[in-house]
Amino acid sequence: MTTGSSTYGFEIPTASRPGAAAWGQMILAEARSVIRDTAGLVVPIGLPAVLLLSQAFGTSQESVAEAGDRSVLEVFILPITLVMVVAMVGVVNMPSFLATYRKLGLLKRLAATPAHPAMVLVAQVTVSIVQTVVGLGLALGIVGVGFGLVGPEDAPATLGTLMLVAAAMYSTGMLIGALAPTTNASIALGLLAFLVMGAAGGMFGGTQNLPESMARFGEWLPFGAGLRLLEAAWLGGEIEARHVIALSAAVVLGVASAVRFFRWSR
Amino acid sequence: MPAAVDVSGIRKRYKRTVALDGVSLTVEEGETVGILGRNGAGKTTLAESIAGLRRPDEGTVRVLGLDPVTDRARLRMVLGVQLQQAILHLDLTVIENLRLHRSFYPSGHDPEELLRRLGLAGSRDARFGNLSGGQQQRLSLAVALIGRPRVVILDELTTGLDPEGRRSIWRLVESLREEGVTVLLVSHAMDEVSRLCDRVVVLDAGRTRAEGTPQSLVRDTGAEDLEEAFLGLIGAGPDEIESVIESVEGTS
Repeated sequence: MTTGSSTYGFEIPTASRPGAAAWGQMILAEARSVIRDTAGLVVPIGLPAVLLLSQAFGTSQESVAEAGDRSVLEVFILPITLVMVVAMVGVVNMPSFLATYRKLGLLKRLAATPAHPAMVLVAQVTVSIVQTVVGLGLALGIVGVGFGLVGPEDAPATLGTLMLVAAAMYSTGMLIGALAPTTNASIALGLLAFLVMGAAGGMFGGTQNLPESMARFGEWLPFGAGLRLLEAAWLGGEIEARHVIALSAAVVLGVASAVRFFRWSR
Repeated sequence: MPAAVDVSGIRKRYKRTVALDGVSLTVEEGETVGILGRNGAGKTTLAESIAGLRRPDEGTVRVLGLDPVTDRARLRMVLGVQLQQAILHLDLTVIENLRLHRSFYPSGHDPEELLRRLGLAGSRDARFGNLSGGQQQRLSLAVALIGRPRVVILDELTTGLDPEGRRSIWRLVESLREEGVTVLLVSHAMDEVSRLCDRVVVLDAGRTRAEGTPQSLVRDTGAEDLEEAFLGLIGAGPDEIESVIESVEGTS
Protein backbone atom coordinates (compact mmCIF):
# COMPACT_ATOMS: atom_id res chain seq x y z
CA MET A 1 0.00 0.00 0.00
CA THR A 2 2.93 2.37 0.49
CA THR A 3 5.84 3.25 -1.71
CA GLY A 4 9.45 3.32 -0.79
CA SER A 5 9.41 7.10 -1.04
CA SER A 6 11.33 8.43 1.96
CA THR A 7 11.89 11.93 0.60
CA TYR A 8 9.57 13.18 3.30
CA GLY A 9 9.13 12.05 6.87
CA PHE A 10 6.40 9.60 5.88
CA GLU A 11 5.46 7.22 3.10
CA ILE A 12 3.09 8.31 0.34
CA PRO A 13 0.65 5.46 -0.32
CA THR A 14 0.30 4.24 -3.86
CA ALA A 15 -2.87 5.29 -5.60
CA SER A 16 -5.71 2.89 -5.02
CA ARG A 17 -9.28 3.02 -6.20
CA PRO A 18 -11.95 3.24 -3.52
CA GLY A 19 -12.83 -0.30 -2.49
CA ALA A 20 -16.04 -2.16 -1.80
CA ALA A 21 -16.55 -0.36 1.52
CA ALA A 22 -16.42 3.04 -0.20
CA TRP A 23 -18.84 1.91 -2.90
CA GLY A 24 -21.15 0.49 -0.25
CA GLN A 25 -21.08 3.72 1.73
CA MET A 26 -21.66 5.80 -1.40
CA ILE A 27 -24.65 3.74 -2.53
CA LEU A 28 -25.99 3.80 1.04
CA ALA A 29 -25.57 7.59 1.09
CA GLU A 30 -27.51 7.97 -2.17
CA ALA A 31 -30.21 5.57 -0.97
CA ARG A 32 -30.61 7.58 2.25
CA SER A 33 -30.76 10.83 0.30
CA VAL A 34 -33.48 9.48 -2.00
CA ILE A 35 -35.47 7.95 0.88
CA ARG A 36 -35.27 11.17 2.92
CA ASP A 37 -36.35 13.29 -0.05
CA THR A 38 -40.04 12.50 0.43
CA ALA A 39 -41.28 13.93 -2.86
CA GLY A 40 -38.49 12.31 -4.83
CA LEU A 41 -39.26 8.96 -3.24
CA VAL A 42 -43.05 8.97 -3.33
CA VAL A 43 -43.97 10.76 -6.56
CA PRO A 44 -42.24 8.49 -9.13
CA ILE A 45 -43.51 5.37 -7.40
CA GLY A 46 -46.77 6.58 -5.87
CA LEU A 47 -48.22 8.74 -8.65
CA PRO A 48 -48.26 6.01 -11.33
CA ALA A 49 -49.67 3.58 -8.76
CA VAL A 50 -52.48 5.99 -7.84
CA LEU A 51 -53.27 6.58 -11.52
CA LEU A 52 -53.30 2.82 -12.08
CA LEU A 53 -55.68 2.29 -9.17
CA SER A 54 -57.99 5.08 -10.29
CA GLN A 55 -58.23 3.42 -13.72
CA ALA A 56 -58.46 -0.06 -12.23
CA PHE A 57 -61.76 0.47 -10.46
CA GLY A 58 -63.37 1.72 -13.65
CA THR A 59 -62.15 -0.93 -16.06
CA SER A 60 -61.31 -4.06 -14.13
CA GLN A 61 -64.41 -6.02 -15.13
CA GLU A 62 -63.77 -5.66 -18.83
CA SER A 63 -61.55 -8.02 -20.82
CA VAL A 64 -60.11 -8.10 -24.31
CA ALA A 65 -60.74 -11.34 -26.18
CA GLU A 66 -58.00 -10.72 -28.78
CA ALA A 67 -55.49 -10.30 -25.98
CA GLY A 68 -56.02 -13.70 -24.40
CA ASP A 69 -58.91 -12.44 -22.28
CA ARG A 70 -56.60 -10.16 -20.38
CA SER A 71 -58.31 -7.30 -18.61
CA VAL A 72 -58.46 -3.87 -20.19
CA LEU A 73 -56.34 -2.76 -17.25
CA GLU A 74 -53.57 -5.20 -18.12
CA VAL A 75 -53.70 -4.58 -21.87
CA PHE A 76 -53.94 -0.80 -21.98
CA ILE A 77 -53.21 0.75 -18.59
CA LEU A 78 -50.49 -1.41 -17.07
CA PRO A 79 -47.93 -0.91 -19.90
CA ILE A 80 -48.43 2.88 -19.68
CA THR A 81 -47.95 2.71 -15.92
CA LEU A 82 -44.77 0.68 -16.20
CA VAL A 83 -43.21 3.04 -18.76
CA MET A 84 -44.36 5.99 -16.67
CA VAL A 85 -42.52 4.68 -13.58
CA VAL A 86 -39.30 4.22 -15.55
CA ALA A 87 -39.64 7.65 -17.16
CA MET A 88 -40.40 9.53 -13.93
CA VAL A 89 -37.42 8.06 -12.11
CA GLY A 90 -35.02 8.36 -15.03
CA VAL A 91 -36.04 11.65 -16.61
CA VAL A 92 -37.40 13.69 -13.70
CA ASN A 93 -36.05 12.36 -10.41
CA MET A 94 -32.47 11.24 -11.04
CA PRO A 95 -31.28 14.32 -12.96
CA SER A 96 -32.59 16.60 -10.21
CA PHE A 97 -30.18 14.94 -7.76
CA LEU A 98 -27.27 15.35 -10.16
CA ALA A 99 -28.07 19.01 -10.81
CA THR A 100 -28.40 19.64 -7.08
CA TYR A 101 -25.05 18.05 -6.36
CA ARG A 102 -23.32 20.14 -8.99
CA LYS A 103 -25.09 23.35 -7.94
CA LEU A 104 -24.12 22.82 -4.30
CA GLY A 105 -20.54 21.93 -5.16
CA LEU A 106 -20.73 18.38 -3.86
CA LEU A 107 -19.11 16.94 -6.98
CA LYS A 108 -16.23 19.39 -6.58
CA ARG A 109 -15.96 18.42 -2.91
CA LEU A 110 -15.66 14.77 -3.88
CA ALA A 111 -13.01 15.67 -6.46
CA ALA A 112 -10.82 16.75 -3.55
CA THR A 113 -10.91 13.22 -2.08
CA PRO A 114 -9.71 9.84 -3.37
CA ALA A 115 -13.29 9.24 -4.50
CA HIS A 116 -13.84 10.33 -8.09
CA PRO A 117 -17.07 12.34 -8.41
CA ALA A 118 -18.21 9.80 -11.02
CA MET A 119 -18.80 7.47 -8.04
CA VAL A 120 -21.76 9.52 -6.95
CA LEU A 121 -23.25 9.35 -10.46
CA VAL A 122 -22.91 5.56 -10.55
CA ALA A 123 -24.37 5.30 -7.04
CA GLN A 124 -27.29 7.53 -7.96
CA VAL A 125 -28.06 5.46 -11.06
CA THR A 126 -27.86 2.27 -8.95
CA VAL A 127 -30.33 3.63 -6.42
CA SER A 128 -32.59 4.88 -9.21
CA ILE A 129 -32.65 1.38 -10.71
CA VAL A 130 -33.71 -0.05 -7.35
CA GLN A 131 -36.36 2.66 -7.06
CA THR A 132 -37.61 1.78 -10.53
CA VAL A 133 -37.78 -1.92 -9.69
CA VAL A 134 -39.81 -1.10 -6.57
CA GLY A 135 -42.16 1.07 -8.63
CA LEU A 136 -42.60 -1.63 -11.29
CA GLY A 137 -43.14 -4.25 -8.59
CA LEU A 138 -45.79 -2.12 -6.93
CA ALA A 139 -47.69 -1.62 -10.19
CA LEU A 140 -47.51 -5.33 -11.06
CA GLY A 141 -48.46 -6.22 -7.50
CA ILE A 142 -51.55 -4.03 -7.57
CA VAL A 143 -52.81 -5.63 -10.77
CA GLY A 144 -51.75 -9.11 -9.68
CA VAL A 145 -53.34 -9.01 -6.26
CA GLY A 146 -56.46 -7.04 -6.98
CA PHE A 147 -57.35 -7.36 -10.63
CA GLY A 148 -56.16 -10.68 -12.08
CA LEU A 149 -52.84 -10.46 -13.86
CA VAL A 150 -52.29 -12.95 -16.70
CA GLY A 151 -48.71 -11.81 -17.26
CA PRO A 152 -46.55 -11.28 -20.32
CA GLU A 153 -46.72 -13.57 -23.31
CA ASP A 154 -42.97 -13.29 -23.81
CA ALA A 155 -41.30 -12.74 -20.42
CA PRO A 156 -37.68 -12.48 -21.65
CA ALA A 157 -38.68 -9.95 -24.33
CA THR A 158 -40.66 -8.00 -21.76
CA LEU A 159 -37.72 -7.92 -19.37
CA GLY A 160 -35.36 -6.95 -22.17
CA THR A 161 -37.74 -4.21 -23.26
CA LEU A 162 -37.99 -2.77 -19.76
CA MET A 163 -34.20 -2.73 -19.50
CA LEU A 164 -33.87 -0.98 -22.86
CA VAL A 165 -36.57 1.55 -21.93
CA ALA A 166 -34.78 2.18 -18.63
CA ALA A 167 -31.46 2.69 -20.43
CA ALA A 168 -33.10 5.16 -22.85
CA MET A 169 -34.84 7.09 -20.06
CA TYR A 170 -31.72 7.20 -17.85
CA SER A 171 -29.64 8.41 -20.80
CA THR A 172 -32.17 11.17 -21.42
CA GLY A 173 -32.03 11.96 -17.71
CA MET A 174 -28.23 12.09 -17.78
CA LEU A 175 -28.39 14.61 -20.60
CA ILE A 176 -30.87 16.73 -18.62
CA GLY A 177 -28.64 16.46 -15.54
CA ALA A 178 -25.68 17.55 -17.66
CA LEU A 179 -27.44 20.57 -19.14
CA ALA A 180 -29.51 21.88 -16.23
CA PRO A 181 -27.64 24.48 -14.16
CA THR A 182 -29.92 24.22 -11.10
CA THR A 183 -32.29 21.80 -9.40
CA ASN A 184 -35.32 23.81 -10.50
CA ALA A 185 -34.08 23.91 -14.08
CA SER A 186 -33.53 20.17 -13.97
CA ILE A 187 -37.04 19.48 -12.67
CA ALA A 188 -38.54 21.85 -15.25
CA LEU A 189 -36.59 20.29 -18.12
CA GLY A 190 -37.31 16.78 -16.85
CA LEU A 191 -41.05 17.40 -16.52
CA LEU A 192 -41.18 19.04 -19.93
CA ALA A 193 -39.39 16.11 -21.52
CA PHE A 194 -41.58 13.64 -19.63
CA LEU A 195 -44.83 15.35 -20.64
CA VAL A 196 -43.84 15.86 -24.29
CA MET A 197 -42.62 12.29 -24.67
CA GLY A 198 -45.67 10.99 -22.77
CA ALA A 199 -48.24 13.04 -24.65
CA ALA A 200 -46.79 12.12 -28.04
CA GLY A 201 -46.33 8.51 -26.96
CA GLY A 202 -49.85 7.73 -25.75
CA MET A 203 -49.63 8.37 -22.01
CA PHE A 204 -52.90 10.34 -22.05
CA GLY A 205 -54.82 7.96 -24.29
CA GLY A 206 -54.58 6.25 -27.65
CA THR A 207 -52.29 7.88 -30.18
CA GLN A 208 -55.04 7.52 -32.79
CA ASN A 209 -56.51 10.70 -31.32
CA LEU A 210 -53.32 12.62 -32.01
CA PRO A 211 -52.39 14.32 -35.28
CA GLU A 212 -50.69 11.69 -37.41
CA SER A 213 -47.40 13.55 -37.60
CA MET A 214 -47.28 13.85 -33.82
CA ALA A 215 -48.13 10.20 -33.32
CA ARG A 216 -45.38 9.17 -35.74
CA PHE A 217 -42.93 11.50 -34.04
CA GLY A 218 -43.93 10.12 -30.62
CA GLU A 219 -43.06 6.58 -31.69
CA TRP A 220 -39.45 7.70 -32.17
CA LEU A 221 -39.22 9.13 -28.67
CA PRO A 222 -38.36 6.86 -25.70
CA PHE A 223 -41.85 6.88 -24.18
CA GLY A 224 -43.75 6.02 -27.35
CA ALA A 225 -41.19 3.56 -28.65
CA GLY A 226 -40.93 1.92 -25.23
CA LEU A 227 -44.69 1.66 -24.86
CA ARG A 228 -45.21 0.09 -28.29
CA LEU A 229 -42.37 -2.34 -27.67
CA LEU A 230 -43.65 -3.28 -24.22
CA GLU A 231 -47.20 -3.83 -25.51
CA ALA A 232 -45.84 -6.09 -28.25
CA ALA A 233 -43.70 -8.12 -25.84
CA TRP A 234 -46.45 -8.38 -23.25
CA LEU A 235 -49.17 -9.47 -25.67
CA GLY A 236 -46.98 -11.54 -27.98
CA GLY A 237 -47.22 -9.11 -30.89
CA GLU A 238 -44.63 -8.24 -33.49
CA ILE A 239 -41.52 -6.49 -32.22
CA GLU A 240 -40.88 -3.64 -34.64
CA ALA A 241 -37.26 -2.88 -35.37
CA ARG A 242 -37.86 0.89 -35.54
CA HIS A 243 -38.87 0.94 -31.87
CA VAL A 244 -35.70 -0.91 -30.87
CA ILE A 245 -33.69 1.47 -33.06
CA ALA A 246 -35.40 4.51 -31.51
CA LEU A 247 -34.61 3.38 -27.97
CA SER A 248 -31.05 2.40 -28.85
CA ALA A 249 -30.51 5.76 -30.53
CA ALA A 250 -31.79 7.52 -27.41
CA VAL A 251 -29.21 5.61 -25.34
CA VAL A 252 -26.32 6.44 -27.67
CA LEU A 253 -27.26 10.09 -28.20
CA GLY A 254 -28.12 10.66 -24.54
CA VAL A 255 -24.90 9.19 -23.19
CA ALA A 256 -22.69 10.83 -25.82
CA SER A 257 -24.29 14.24 -25.27
CA ALA A 258 -24.18 13.91 -21.48
CA VAL A 259 -20.48 13.07 -21.60
CA ARG A 260 -19.91 16.04 -23.92
CA PHE A 261 -21.81 18.59 -21.85
CA PHE A 262 -21.40 17.34 -18.27
CA ARG A 263 -19.62 19.70 -15.88
CA TRP A 264 -18.38 18.64 -12.47
CA SER A 265 -18.78 22.13 -11.01
CA ARG A 266 -20.71 25.30 -11.78
CA MET B 1 14.51 17.83 1.31
CA PRO B 2 12.21 19.22 -1.42
CA ALA B 3 9.40 21.53 -0.37
CA ALA B 4 6.08 19.94 0.54
CA VAL B 5 4.32 22.48 -1.68
CA ASP B 6 6.16 24.04 -4.60
CA VAL B 7 4.33 26.52 -6.79
CA SER B 8 6.30 28.12 -9.60
CA GLY B 9 5.07 31.05 -11.68
CA ILE B 10 1.46 30.01 -12.04
CA ARG B 11 -0.98 32.08 -14.01
CA LYS B 12 -4.72 31.61 -14.20
CA ARG B 13 -7.20 33.68 -16.15
CA TYR B 14 -11.00 33.54 -16.13
CA LYS B 15 -12.08 35.15 -19.42
CA ARG B 16 -10.84 38.74 -19.01
CA THR B 17 -10.02 38.49 -15.31
CA VAL B 18 -6.49 37.56 -14.30
CA ALA B 19 -6.83 35.63 -11.05
CA LEU B 20 -3.17 34.63 -10.65
CA ASP B 21 -0.35 36.42 -12.39
CA GLY B 22 2.88 34.54 -11.93
CA VAL B 23 2.59 33.46 -8.28
CA SER B 24 5.37 31.36 -6.77
CA LEU B 25 5.30 29.80 -3.33
CA THR B 26 7.10 27.13 -1.36
CA VAL B 27 5.94 25.50 1.85
CA GLU B 28 8.32 23.26 3.75
CA GLU B 29 7.16 20.01 5.32
CA GLY B 30 5.55 20.68 8.67
CA GLU B 31 5.24 24.40 8.04
CA THR B 32 2.00 26.35 8.45
CA VAL B 33 1.72 29.11 5.86
CA GLY B 34 -1.07 31.66 5.64
CA ILE B 35 -2.37 33.18 2.41
CA LEU B 36 -3.76 36.66 2.99
CA GLY B 37 -5.50 38.93 0.54
CA ARG B 38 -8.63 40.92 0.01
CA ASN B 39 -11.63 39.45 -1.82
CA GLY B 40 -10.70 38.62 -5.39
CA ALA B 41 -6.96 38.64 -4.72
CA GLY B 42 -6.62 35.09 -6.04
CA LYS B 43 -6.36 33.21 -2.73
CA THR B 44 -8.96 30.56 -3.44
CA THR B 45 -7.75 30.08 -7.01
CA LEU B 46 -4.25 29.51 -5.64
CA ALA B 47 -5.53 27.05 -3.02
CA GLU B 48 -7.65 25.18 -5.56
CA SER B 49 -4.74 25.04 -8.02
CA ILE B 50 -2.58 23.48 -5.31
CA ALA B 51 -5.41 21.05 -4.51
CA GLY B 52 -5.64 20.05 -8.18
CA LEU B 53 -9.17 21.35 -8.53
CA ARG B 54 -8.06 23.93 -11.08
CA ARG B 55 -5.42 23.60 -13.76
CA PRO B 56 -3.21 26.69 -14.07
CA ASP B 57 -2.82 28.20 -17.55
CA GLU B 58 0.94 28.47 -16.99
CA GLY B 59 3.47 27.45 -14.36
CA THR B 60 3.87 24.32 -12.29
CA VAL B 61 2.50 23.03 -9.02
CA ARG B 62 3.99 20.15 -7.07
CA VAL B 63 2.68 18.82 -3.77
CA LEU B 64 4.96 16.26 -2.11
CA GLY B 65 6.67 16.06 -5.50
CA LEU B 66 3.43 15.09 -7.25
CA ASP B 67 1.45 16.95 -9.90
CA PRO B 68 -1.99 17.58 -8.31
CA VAL B 69 -3.76 17.04 -11.64
CA THR B 70 -1.92 14.14 -13.27
CA ASP B 71 -1.01 12.40 -9.97
CA ARG B 72 -4.42 13.15 -8.59
CA ALA B 73 -5.28 9.68 -7.31
CA ARG B 74 -2.07 9.26 -5.35
CA LEU B 75 -1.93 12.75 -3.93
CA ARG B 76 -5.52 12.57 -2.66
CA MET B 77 -4.44 9.80 -0.28
CA VAL B 78 -2.36 12.29 1.73
CA LEU B 79 -4.06 15.61 0.95
CA GLY B 80 -6.92 17.05 2.98
CA VAL B 81 -8.91 19.96 1.59
CA GLN B 82 -11.44 22.18 3.29
CA LEU B 83 -13.19 24.22 0.62
CA GLN B 84 -14.36 27.77 1.14
CA GLN B 85 -17.99 26.62 1.13
CA ALA B 86 -18.89 23.78 3.47
CA ILE B 87 -20.65 21.33 1.14
CA LEU B 88 -21.69 17.81 2.02
CA HIS B 89 -24.76 15.64 1.49
CA LEU B 90 -27.60 17.77 2.90
CA ASP B 91 -29.84 14.84 3.85
CA LEU B 92 -27.14 12.77 5.55
CA THR B 93 -26.39 13.13 9.23
CA VAL B 94 -23.09 14.34 10.60
CA ILE B 95 -21.84 10.83 11.35
CA GLU B 96 -23.10 9.44 8.03
CA ASN B 97 -21.25 12.13 6.09
CA LEU B 98 -18.08 11.51 8.04
CA ARG B 99 -18.26 7.72 7.67
CA LEU B 100 -18.78 8.14 3.93
CA HIS B 101 -15.59 10.19 3.63
CA ARG B 102 -13.69 7.89 5.97
CA SER B 103 -14.46 4.99 3.62
CA PHE B 104 -12.47 6.68 0.84
CA TYR B 105 -9.17 6.20 2.71
CA PRO B 106 -7.35 2.97 3.60
CA SER B 107 -6.63 4.35 7.07
CA GLY B 108 -7.69 7.37 9.03
CA HIS B 109 -9.28 8.80 12.14
CA ASP B 110 -12.13 7.19 14.02
CA PRO B 111 -15.14 9.34 13.00
CA GLU B 112 -16.63 9.35 16.49
CA GLU B 113 -13.33 10.45 18.02
CA LEU B 114 -12.90 13.23 15.48
CA LEU B 115 -16.42 14.49 16.17
CA ARG B 116 -15.59 14.65 19.88
CA ARG B 117 -12.41 16.61 19.17
CA LEU B 118 -14.33 19.09 17.06
CA GLY B 119 -17.19 19.46 19.54
CA LEU B 120 -19.72 17.87 17.20
CA ALA B 121 -20.51 14.72 19.18
CA GLY B 122 -23.82 16.21 20.33
CA SER B 123 -24.86 16.79 16.72
CA ARG B 124 -23.78 13.42 15.31
CA ASP B 125 -27.31 12.45 14.29
CA ALA B 126 -28.35 15.86 12.97
CA ARG B 127 -28.63 16.24 9.21
CA PHE B 128 -25.98 18.41 7.59
CA GLY B 129 -28.64 20.69 6.12
CA ASN B 130 -29.99 21.43 9.60
CA LEU B 131 -26.65 22.42 11.15
CA SER B 132 -25.67 26.00 11.91
CA GLY B 133 -23.04 27.60 9.70
CA GLY B 134 -20.39 27.09 12.36
CA GLN B 135 -21.26 23.42 12.79
CA GLN B 136 -21.16 22.89 9.04
CA GLN B 137 -17.75 24.53 8.96
CA ARG B 138 -16.47 22.23 11.71
CA LEU B 139 -17.79 19.15 9.95
CA SER B 140 -16.15 20.34 6.75
CA LEU B 141 -12.86 20.49 8.64
CA ALA B 142 -13.48 17.00 10.04
CA VAL B 143 -13.96 15.70 6.50
CA ALA B 144 -10.69 17.33 5.44
CA LEU B 145 -8.84 15.61 8.30
CA ILE B 146 -10.57 12.20 8.35
CA GLY B 147 -7.93 10.46 6.21
CA ARG B 148 -5.00 11.65 8.37
CA PRO B 149 -3.58 13.86 5.60
CA ARG B 150 0.05 15.00 5.55
CA VAL B 151 -0.78 18.21 3.68
CA VAL B 152 -3.89 20.19 4.53
CA ILE B 153 -5.41 23.12 2.64
CA LEU B 154 -7.86 25.11 4.72
CA ASP B 155 -9.86 27.82 2.94
CA GLU B 156 -11.62 30.23 5.32
CA LEU B 157 -11.08 27.94 8.30
CA THR B 158 -13.17 29.66 10.92
CA THR B 159 -15.74 31.59 8.90
CA GLY B 160 -19.03 31.60 10.77
CA LEU B 161 -17.62 30.28 14.04
CA ASP B 162 -18.14 31.89 17.42
CA PRO B 163 -15.05 32.83 19.49
CA GLU B 164 -15.13 29.57 21.43
CA GLY B 165 -15.46 27.55 18.26
CA ARG B 166 -12.61 29.44 16.62
CA ARG B 167 -10.29 28.71 19.54
CA SER B 168 -11.09 25.00 19.56
CA ILE B 169 -10.38 24.85 15.81
CA TRP B 170 -7.14 26.76 16.31
CA ARG B 171 -6.04 24.20 18.93
CA LEU B 172 -6.76 21.45 16.45
CA VAL B 173 -4.64 23.15 13.77
CA GLU B 174 -1.86 23.61 16.33
CA SER B 175 -2.01 19.89 17.04
CA LEU B 176 -1.62 19.25 13.30
CA ARG B 177 1.55 21.31 13.34
CA GLU B 178 2.84 19.28 16.30
CA GLU B 179 2.23 16.13 14.24
CA GLY B 180 4.34 17.55 11.41
CA VAL B 181 1.42 18.13 9.04
CA THR B 182 1.97 20.82 6.40
CA VAL B 183 -0.83 23.38 6.51
CA LEU B 184 -1.80 26.00 3.95
CA LEU B 185 -4.26 28.40 5.52
CA VAL B 186 -6.29 30.80 3.38
CA SER B 187 -7.76 33.41 5.64
CA HIS B 188 -9.04 36.92 6.18
CA ALA B 189 -8.64 36.69 9.97
CA MET B 190 -5.45 38.44 11.06
CA ASP B 191 -5.58 37.09 14.61
CA GLU B 192 -5.89 33.57 13.23
CA VAL B 193 -2.97 33.99 10.87
CA SER B 194 -0.81 35.65 13.55
CA ARG B 195 -1.45 32.81 15.96
CA LEU B 196 -1.21 29.81 13.65
CA CYS B 197 1.15 30.63 10.81
CA ASP B 198 4.92 30.36 10.62
CA ARG B 199 4.88 32.42 7.46
CA VAL B 200 2.45 34.63 5.59
CA VAL B 201 2.09 35.33 1.87
CA VAL B 202 0.14 38.47 0.95
CA LEU B 203 -1.60 38.30 -2.43
CA ASP B 204 -2.98 41.31 -4.23
CA ALA B 205 -4.54 41.32 -7.69
CA GLY B 206 -3.13 37.87 -8.40
CA ARG B 207 0.43 38.73 -7.47
CA THR B 208 2.57 38.11 -4.41
CA ARG B 209 2.85 41.45 -2.61
CA ALA B 210 4.90 40.31 0.39
CA GLU B 211 6.10 37.21 2.18
CA GLY B 212 7.55 36.61 5.63
CA THR B 213 6.78 35.77 9.21
CA PRO B 214 3.88 37.69 10.76
CA GLN B 215 6.41 39.46 13.01
CA SER B 216 8.72 40.42 10.13
CA LEU B 217 5.83 41.81 8.07
CA VAL B 218 4.77 44.00 10.99
CA ARG B 219 8.35 45.08 11.66
CA ASP B 220 9.28 45.76 8.03
CA THR B 221 6.19 47.85 7.34
CA GLY B 222 6.47 49.78 10.59
CA ALA B 223 2.91 48.81 11.42
CA GLU B 224 1.45 48.21 14.85
CA ASP B 225 -0.07 44.86 14.01
CA LEU B 226 -0.58 42.43 11.13
CA GLU B 227 -3.84 44.00 10.03
CA GLU B 228 -2.20 47.41 9.65
CA ALA B 229 0.75 45.82 7.89
CA PHE B 230 -1.62 43.99 5.53
CA LEU B 231 -3.55 47.14 4.67
CA GLY B 232 -0.33 48.97 4.07
CA LEU B 233 1.04 46.23 1.87
CA ILE B 234 -1.97 46.09 -0.40
CA GLY B 235 -1.81 49.87 -0.72
CA ALA B 236 -5.27 50.56 0.59
CA GLY B 237 -5.97 54.29 0.96
CA PRO B 238 -8.14 55.65 3.79
CA ASP B 239 -11.41 55.11 1.88
CA GLU B 240 -10.33 51.77 0.59
CA ILE B 241 -9.17 50.65 4.03
CA GLU B 242 -12.73 50.99 5.28
CA SER B 243 -14.10 48.81 2.49
CA VAL B 244 -11.32 46.25 2.92
CA ILE B 245 -12.00 46.10 6.66
CA GLU B 246 -15.70 45.64 5.92
CA SER B 247 -14.95 42.82 3.50
CA VAL B 248 -12.60 41.21 6.02
CA GLU B 249 -15.11 41.52 8.86
CA GLY B 250 -17.91 40.31 6.64
CA THR B 251 -16.16 37.04 5.99
CA SER B 252 -14.67 36.45 9.42
